Amino acid sequence: MNDNKNGELQRAKPSNDGGAGEPETRPSRRGLLSSFGAGAAAAALVNPGKIFAATPPPIPSIRIAKDITDSLAESTRLGSFDAKGGMTGAEVFAKSCKDENLAALFCCPGNYQIINAISAAGIPAFGGRSEGSMASAADGFSRCTGEVTACSGTEGPGFTNMIMNIAVAHRARTPLLVLASNVTIATDDREYFIQTGYQQPTTEGLKKYGKRLIAPDRIHEYTAYAFRHLKTGVPGPVHLDFPGEIYNHRFSAESEVKEYYSKDKYRAESRPHPAPKDLAQAVDMINRAERPVIVAGHGVFFHKAWEPLMVAAEKNDIAVVTSGPMRGHFPDEHRLSASLSPDAFMSADLVVFVGQYSMPSKTERWRFHPDAKAIRVNPTGEDLGRNWPLDLGIVADEGAFLEGLASDLPRKKRDAWVGELATARQKYEKQLLDEYEQGVKHSAATNTVHHAVVCKEVHDFLYKGAIDPKLTVTGWGGWTIGNAGARWLRAYRPGQEVNCPYQYSAVGPDLAMMVGAGAAVQLGVGPQAPYKGAPVVVITSDAGITYSMFELDTAAKYKIPIVCIVYNNNAWGMWPSAVGTPRSMHMYLFQENLRYDKMAEGLGARGEYVRTQDEFRKALKTSYEVAAKERVSTLINVQALKEFTSGKDYPPGNIINPEPSVGALAH
Amino acid sequence: MYLRTLGIIALLAFAASADTSAKLTRDEAKKLKSPEANTRKSIDRGRVIFLQNCTSCHGEDGKAEGSLVASATDLTSPKLYNSGTSEGEIFRSIRDGAGDQMPAFQSQLANETDIWNLVNFIRSLWPESMRPPVQ
Repeated sequence: MNDNKNGELQRAKPSNDGGAGEPETRPSRRGLLSSFGAGAAAAALVNPGKIFAATPPPIPSIRIAKDITDSLAESTRLGSFDAKGGMTGAEVFAKSCKDENLAALFCCPGNYQIINAISAAGIPAFGGRSEGSMASAADGFSRCTGEVTACSGTEGPGFTNMIMNIAVAHRARTPLLVLASNVTIATDDREYFIQTGYQQPTTEGLKKYGKRLIAPDRIHEYTAYAFRHLKTGVPGPVHLDFPGEIYNHRFSAESEVKEYYSKDKYRAESRPHPAPKDLAQAVDMINRAERPVIVAGHGVFFHKAWEPLMVAAEKNDIAVVTSGPMRGHFPDEHRLSASLSPDAFMSADLVVFVGQYSMPSKTERWRFHPDAKAIRVNPTGEDLGRNWPLDLGIVADEGAFLEGLASDLPRKKRDAWVGELATARQKYEKQLLDEYEQGVKHSAATNTVHHAVVCKEVHDFLYKGAIDPKLTVTGWGGWTIGNAGARWLRAYRPGQEVNCPYQYSAVGPDLAMMVGAGAAVQLGVGPQAPYKGAPVVVITSDAGITYSMFELDTAAKYKIPIVCIVYNNNAWGMWPSAVGTPRSMHMYLFQENLRYDKMAEGLGARGEYVRTQDEFRKALKTSYEVAAKERVSTLINVQALKEFTSGKDYPPGNIINPEPSVGALAH
Repeated sequence: MYLRTLGIIALLAFAASADTSAKLTRDEAKKLKSPEANTRKSIDRGRVIFLQNCTSCHGEDGKAEGSLVASATDLTSPKLYNSGTSEGEIFRSIRDGAGDQMPAFQSQLANETDIWNLVNFIRSLWPESMRPPVQ
């Protein structure tokens, strides 16, 4: 974050020692103690043995360094061909990214010239603690805004650290620009010094497009390739690797850069519209159906088509279930929402997939009747017909198709269908309450907190209390707690919920994704604009938190307020897989009662440790208030039991959610 | 802590046994008779329910060859069933859960007819010599 606007995010109180400022809102007991330090040190000179025995040396407070706040307040600077020394390849690239409105960069040091140029150009940039988590932060930013974001790491280890997270983004079709330095062309194949690696084959199968740049004067040409792929059709990660000859090359005139023309000349904003006969057939099929349902996938969100979706659905009483790595592009509370009515799907007679990029198989888990007819709308044609037999396939931008429906569908009431949705919703909500009531009993009996209780409390706090239900962006991950969280979290507006495990079920990127989502909310990007500055909430597991917990430092550094709820059941969620082979159980377990809250405190966040429902309720309220008012994050360590995962002793155990529905993670 | 947990489990089991919606014992389950005849229609209906609820762990073909959970039962091989193969025992496994990993489906499949249809479908996966005749 580099411009003045971002500077507001991290205002520090001047310190009286001329050094780094204390964050003005951070409670600091150590700060109070430090004033006694000088006196203690003087006394130690007189009788050091006595003093050291009695009083440990003062420990400086955790604080945001003045160099950080000063750096964030620096003015932006784009390279210029007229500058002394001209413009570097990195600056040419950064300028192109700026012109393309690249929304943010998340990185660790390495690929220095590129990340420095991007930051200098004024693109919001965030430096974190591991490249993989930064890739997921960029992914999370994109999942709640729909914008193109970038991540970056150094060649070799920094790049390979990102692999799992790139794969996660790939399965979610995130428009993620993956950047990495990659030694030099001159030393290719020579194992020269360190970190040689062939990056493009490494991301094979994990990207939409990739290129190792090898001609300095073609840097802009390949930037255009990247953004064409990122902003056209079905999105997906694009991976560029930069040898030193590329980013260090100096240009003294535009004419030295090949194909150096603006974005309106190297790509088109044109959207594919449905052929009139296809649209007419879709309208006819919907109109003749008794119980039609639209599956509104990620394409509806990425292509910002939620308004025509609403108009079309309401005009013809079409049920809508949202699907994808984000939720909220159709509100859960709407009378036509089927996201909480999984039992109604069996009677749907027409399914209209719109922007459902990750297609389930018809013989897999989706709850539609085998005889239901299917229309699929996709911005490109090559995927139509995969996994699900078509009655009608349409190549069209999601927005263009839904605008066509909104225009051409007749007004129609389907009271029986709407009533069936409502009945199914009541049944589903009763199931949730039944599980919760069992969880209350299990919690009280064990002096721990059951996953259903955690999630119901979060639900009531965010959506049933004093907070605007639309305000808070949430994310979820983990196994037992993740499945429960997905059942209880809601989305009432676009970009409100991040489905962290979507389609890849990665363990651990949850907190990192929500650092990115939190940054988006702090900046008020896209659909987050009306909610700028609000905290974000993530529910995750003790297994999952391990992978990105250090990004609490990143959240603190940039004052991104996160309430991170860690369901601590002392085990990997899959521990029952060891039951049949007892000699294996140790591999599935952690030490019991680990203090993730203390670790969070060590990273500059608050920590809370709770063992009861009441304690959790209070901790959640306090943590949210501190996040909202002081922009300080909290990790709430919720003590649970691994046995809650099994229905054997604590029914119903871990429930794998029906799909599609609010709880879907596969598609 | 472990002993206390065991004690709590015992208390819960006692409480559950007094509840009319409590888990069935295995002996009680063995005595159950399916009200749904083993017809092609019932099996087809059970197949749909299977595809929607069971494939994550047991796979599309019931062989449980995926890796989501280690201990999912190969439903095509009744000799591997740990919780019984009678129609009532299979009903119990679905409704009340089985082993350490299979959750109870009592809430999701509140209509017991659906569970009996599912039982018929699962038995249709068995080797032909063991399969109940279709009526």
